[in-house]
Amino acid sequence: MLTVEHVDKSFPVSHGFGAMLRSMTGRSVPRRQVLFDVNLTVARGELFGLLGPNGAGKSTLLKLLSTLTVPDRGRMTIDGIDVEREPLKAKRRIGMCTSDERSFYFRLTARQNMEFFGALMGLGGAVLKKRIEECAELVDLHESLDQRFGGYSSGMRVRLAVARALLADPAILFLDEPTRAVDPVHAEDLRGLIRRNLVDGAGKTVVLATNLLDEAWDLCDRVAVVNRGRIVALAPPRELDAELDAVARYRVTVDAVDDDLLHRTRTVPGFRDLRIIKRERSVDLHVEMEPRAGALGALMRAISWSATGVRDFRPVENEPVDVFKKVTLQDDRDH
Amino acid sequence: MTATTSLPQASPWSRVGAIFRRDAIVALSYPGNFALSWLSIVIQVVVAWYISRLIPNSPKFSATGEVAASYFQYIAINTAFVRFQTAALNSFAESIRDAQLTGTLEIVLSTPTRLNTLVLSSAVWSMTYTVLQTVVFLAIAAAFGLDLRHVDALTALVFLILTVTSVAPLGVLAAALSMVIKKTGPVEFLSTASASLFGGVYLPLRLLPGWLQAIGWTLPITHALNGFRAAASGVPLAQVAGDAIWLLVASAILMPLSLWLFAKSVDKARVDGTLSMY
Repeated sequence: MLTVEHVDKSFPVSHGFGAMLRSMTGRSVPRRQVLFDVNLTVARGELFGLLGPNGAGKSTLLKLLSTLTVPDRGRMTIDGIDVEREPLKAKRRIGMCTSDERSFYFRLTARQNMEFFGALMGLGGAVLKKRIEECAELVDLHESLDQRFGGYSSGMRVRLAVARALLADPAILFLDEPTRAVDPVHAEDLRGLIRRNLVDGAGKTVVLATNLLDEAWDLCDRVAVVNRGRIVALAPPRELDAELDAVARYRVTVDAVDDDLLHRTRTVPGFRDLRIIKRERSVDLHVEMEPRAGALGALMRAISWSATGVRDFRPVENEPVDVFKKVTLQDDRDH
Repeated sequence: MTATTSLPQASPWSRVGAIFRRDAIVALSYPGNFALSWLSIVIQVVVAWYISRLIPNSPKFSATGEVAASYFQYIAINTAFVRFQTAALNSFAESIRDAQLTGTLEIVLSTPTRLNTLVLSSAVWSMTYTVLQTVVFLAIAAAFGLDLRHVDALTALVFLILTVTSVAPLGVLAAALSMVIKKTGPVEFLSTASASLFGGVYLPLRLLPGWLQAIGWTLPITHALNGFRAAASGVPLAQVAGDAIWLLVASAILMPLSLWLFAKSVDKARVDGTLSMY
């Protein structure tokens, strides 16, 4: 299990000469806070998503958990091990896949890179050789292991980073945008590997940072939406709509619109928004309603009582992007 | 696969071996640079030999200061030593700098390897390669007239070890500085140029003004050089025991101090989020 309790993190806003002088003269260097009171619990065997726009704080959170940076405040544990107090112990339980494809040695072959990092993870001899073959096969790189890493495509580099994270067979995996720059076929394979092999098959805990909504929605057991350093929503993807009080959307196709129809629609209890799209022989009304009980019935009655003919009436499912936009925009308004 | 890490762990030395192997492969992957580094040895010997022909023999160039010795004897031993000392001083900082530039520092630090192992191992290839080059340098210099017939092997071995243990901490300090200032240029100047001048590499220390001699005396390089020149002249260890003890004490103080400061510099980079910054 993994816990994050009340974690704040800030970085100096400047690393220049002025900052150095301030630091040397004992004055504080201005800092920009990037994480605010983050609280999380990830259960063993869970696939947990960190979803957010660029710069939201997802990678910083993963770096904190992998001891590459330290929090200003708060505490983090991995299987009960305090990450700050016992970093070596904590690091033995994690596998890190960074989003930076430069994290390998370009002059070495993929196999030599894996041998090097495997040794730093404490593996050696026949065990390491076997693990390299197994992990490379999982990401479909076993036939290009003896190619120089510098000759790898961006997608291959990311896949090798996933294989490296798996080398020591860690209990917990931190995957920072693991399908970035990967072609669609291999991206789908990687998602299958993460969900089926690692989480469902091997019972590993995976924290997946991504800015791909569909990836988070399709893969993760729970998703934390991160915006401007805050967790603004946390729930299973399909429950996020309800938890966030998301809008209910309907598309109503009518013969024509008149003022009476528009007035009736806009005065339905729970009405939020209306968009009108005129077509050649009909008009589409895109209505947003609060998802409260009775709102749908009221809307149907309001439209059917108007003089215009109703051709079609159907709910429109919330797309992940709608939920994401709503959550982040609401947070932006609040801060 | 299992839910927890259950794979058998290799010996801690396998990490040192992996770092050595990585550095060797990277170095050998630049064949032009590799060949030129050997060519530079020949050039250094020839230049030293040529200059020494212009300078008359003097007792100032001998290890004991009692008998006249050639400048070639003096400069060849010193140059061989400087190669060694430069590697010890610079390879730690260069290794950190390379890791920052290549983007590998963070992922290396995310592995369960002790910081001391990482930093100390980072110079093993460089030191081994330099020892090999120094042996070749001395062999070529011998062909040009360097007299190595009287070498005291015990003195040489003791001072070789003490030089590594006393100069390496300065290299680790340079690496700590490079972790903070993100450049190795000033570090290299301070460590190599000043050490060479004050340490009596190009000129015997006794030719420098008194205050410079005082500065020079405090540097490990001065005592290491004394030891090496003594070893080359066949001086027994007992006669240079003072220099050996000085280096031993310096090692005992500087090594833990430098490792502590390096850990502090990494901590600062972690707090500021500048580990991968370059």
